[in-house]
Amino acid sequence: MTGNIVETSGLGKRYGRTWALRECTLALPAGHVAALVGPNGAGKTTLLNLAVGLAEPTAGAVTVLGGLAAGSAAALDGIAFVAQDTPLYKNLSAADMLHLTRNLNRRFDRPYAEARLAELGIPLNRKAGKLSGGQQAQLALTLALGRRPRLLVLDEPMAMLDPLARHDFMAIVLTAMADDGVSVLLSSHVLAELERVADYLILLSRGRVQVAGEVDGLLASHRVLTGPTAEADKYAERPVVHAQRGQAQAHLLVRASAGDPVPPGFQAHPVGLEELAMAYLREPGAGALPGPAPMRQEAAR
Amino acid sequence: MYSCPMTIDKPVIGRPDDAAGSPPPDGGGGDGGTPPAGSWSPIEFRLDAASGVPTYLQLVHQVEHALRLGYLKPGDQLPKVRDVVAALAINPNTVLKAYRELETKGLAAGRPGQGTFVRATLSQVALPELTALRKALLGWLTTAAAAGLDEDGMVALFTSALRDFHDRRGGTGGRRGAASGGTEGVA
Amino acid sequence: MTALRTPARPERDAGLRPVPWRRMAWVTWRQHRTALGGVAVFLGALAVYLWLTALQLHHSYATACHPASSLGCAMDFTGRYGITSIIVSIALQAVPPLIGGFAGAPVLARELETGTFRYAWTQGFGRRRWTLGKLVLLAVAVTAAAEAFSVLFSWYDQPLFAAGYAVPFSPRVFDLGEVAFAAWTLAAFAIGALAGMLIRRVVPAIAATLAVYAGLAFATALWLREHYMAPLLTSTLNLPGSASIVNQWYTKGGKFAFPARGTQIVDAVSRLCPGISNLSSAQCLARHGYTQWTSYQPGSRFWPFQWIEGGWLLALSLLLIAGAVWLVRRRAA
Repeated sequence: MTGNIVETSGLGKRYGRTWALRECTLALPAGHVAALVGPNGAGKTTLLNLAVGLAEPTAGAVTVLGGLAAGSAAALDGIAFVAQDTPLYKNLSAADMLHLTRNLNRRFDRPYAEARLAELGIPLNRKAGKLSGGQQAQLALTLALGRRPRLLVLDEPMAMLDPLARHDFMAIVLTAMADDGVSVLLSSHVLAELERVADYLILLSRGRVQVAGEVDGLLASHRVLTGPTAEADKYAERPVVHAQRGQAQAHLLVRASAGDPVPPGFQAHPVGLEELAMAYLREPGAGALPGPAPMRQEAAR
Repeated sequence: MYSCPMTIDKPVIGRPDDAAGSPPPDGGGGDGGTPPAGSWSPIEFRLDAASGVPTYLQLVHQVEHALRLGYLKPGDQLPKVRDVVAALAINPNTVLKAYRELETKGLAAGRPGQGTFVRATLSQVALPELTALRKALLGWLTTAAAAGLDEDGMVALFTSALRDFHDRRGGTGGRRGAASGGTEGVA
Repeated sequence: MTALRTPARPERDAGLRPVPWRRMAWVTWRQHRTALGGVAVFLGALAVYLWLTALQLHHSYATACHPASSLGCAMDFTGRYGITSIIVSIALQAVPPLIGGFAGAPVLARELETGTFRYAWTQGFGRRRWTLGKLVLLAVAVTAAAEAFSVLFSWYDQPLFAAGYAVPFSPRVFDLGEVAFAAWTLAAFAIGALAGMLIRRVVPAIAATLAVYAGLAFATALWLREHYMAPLLTSTLNLPGSASIVNQWYTKGGKFAFPARGTQIVDAVSRLCPGISNLSSAQCLARHGYTQWTSYQPGSRFWPFQWIEGGWLLALSLLLIAGAVWLVRRRAA
């Protein structure tokens, strides 16, 4: 599809006196797995709730699936959401949940869902509350994917899962993406497990977007320069995101493109996603947004 | 098929005992379901999450490695994107990127609707030459150890020399060996 | 090279037909069958008891109450059945709030409390239609059950009525009337639904429903009901037993003297008729030139009052349900 799968402009949400999300401007293209990352309380759940229509913006606007209003009938039709703690009706069986989801949606691929549950070994007649945490998460995911959405939104879906369950969960999500072209937006506060999965990163910190962009582009436009601490200060005016200074040796995480020359006396290393994210999280004033963005953002744009 | 005990950093992959191309029991290692008839690949991918090497490059290297060792021959099919995704839980775009890279290097070609197939092979060195090279290398390693270099130092020295060699050959295209994505200084 | 296949999406955004309403029938049934079943069992048990007792009452009436003033009739209907029927009808006053509270409050409150609204309100059906469909279906079910029950009660009460031992406007009879009972149940349901949405927790919502209902019911019985129509005025001393007195007072010479209750009348009677105990206050005061005025509602207004009460309760219920739906639309996470 053309257009962006999620597009926000100046989006903000206030609860009482606190702004949970502020001045959030994003243009997330379709066909990606977008990781929404940030510490607890950064506003990830708020952003996801706004995108799926569970909350109304206090400021700004959000559109989904190429320009539809979030929460409209057409948007609800094309977006499947699995909230934190995978809400299911605990006293309904998996078969009942399938039937329920079928009744509440225009489109539901029941054979697919049943096949998926059979593969996973989830019994159809047991109450959802009696399934294990991993099985509940898989059931919620199956219900969501059975709706054949264009966008799958997951809010910290793997918090309660053990590593094997996490692997199986993501395998199914990504297979759906490979088979059907579903775009995925998922949030987590653990970046390590998203590294091999995400190809678009949105970093939220204290309610603001710090970093937003394709992972390849972000990694290509940053590097770590390792060199003598004494010389590190010479590069203060370069776009340095984060500096670690030892007595003799310093590491500078800088924005630079591949063709930029490495300053003499320094070595350049490529940077991994987790290191990049941690560096930005440690420097609240820094940002990496698409387009010409000043390195040190003012607090209020 | 080579059963040459060449142990470089990456362990042997694939199934060396699959003689004469019999299809494995269930496709290219997917998460189950019946694979389409006739679509299977001689190799499977593995992922080393802690290696620091970007995922797509790991896949490229594994294909090159398999070519070098003879597990893959021209005409063989690479694992389907979907199967790789299901087995490793990685982003499909990553697999596509790896396959695109292989296409750029001329090693693979995609046939629409069918999959990606091996097109060419890496130049393979004859066995006697390999044995001679190996012997020379062991000699060098002994000398280096006697000079006081430890194993990491040896690796660093070799990598740096390899880089110089590559630069002297003027290589932006034509890089065929194992290499990481950025420039590295000597630690 | 295998590329990501972009799926064919034949439905575009324009002309998106909504999910049909009838799907909510199964959804509502499956999610609330315990509540509905509970209502059915509860009312069913009461109905069985009423039916058995009613058979006895009808039998007694048929044998003992021709004429209606016979001693046997009086013994049965004031003594034996009278007391039971009073207890029963007082107990039945609790049925509408219990049904309404336990069926109405959890509908929205449980979704919000357990977080399942994050599932239910992101499905294609749409949260507004989901709420409306559920509330309307449950309201109809609950009201119909209550209506059937009140018809049974009327049959149970009919011998008492015919023998003259039931007063139409007493809360015992009026609240259980064939229009009022169903209307009060519907109102309790609507109060529960809105309370559930406002309070967002099941148990506090049920408690609030019962409290609000009790307040409304008492206020209606004590003050509001009397004023549905302008009461009639009379100065006769003998009112029919079926009348319901709104107010009584005494005048003398065309001017107001004192109300029929309170200290003033007691003082007047003891001043004017000291020591004479075989005269009622009314007769005593009448001899001294006082006129007793009574404003009352005649028993014949029973049915108009039932419809008036049913009418405003229905309007209130619709308003409360609409309020709950509106809140669902506005508020969420």
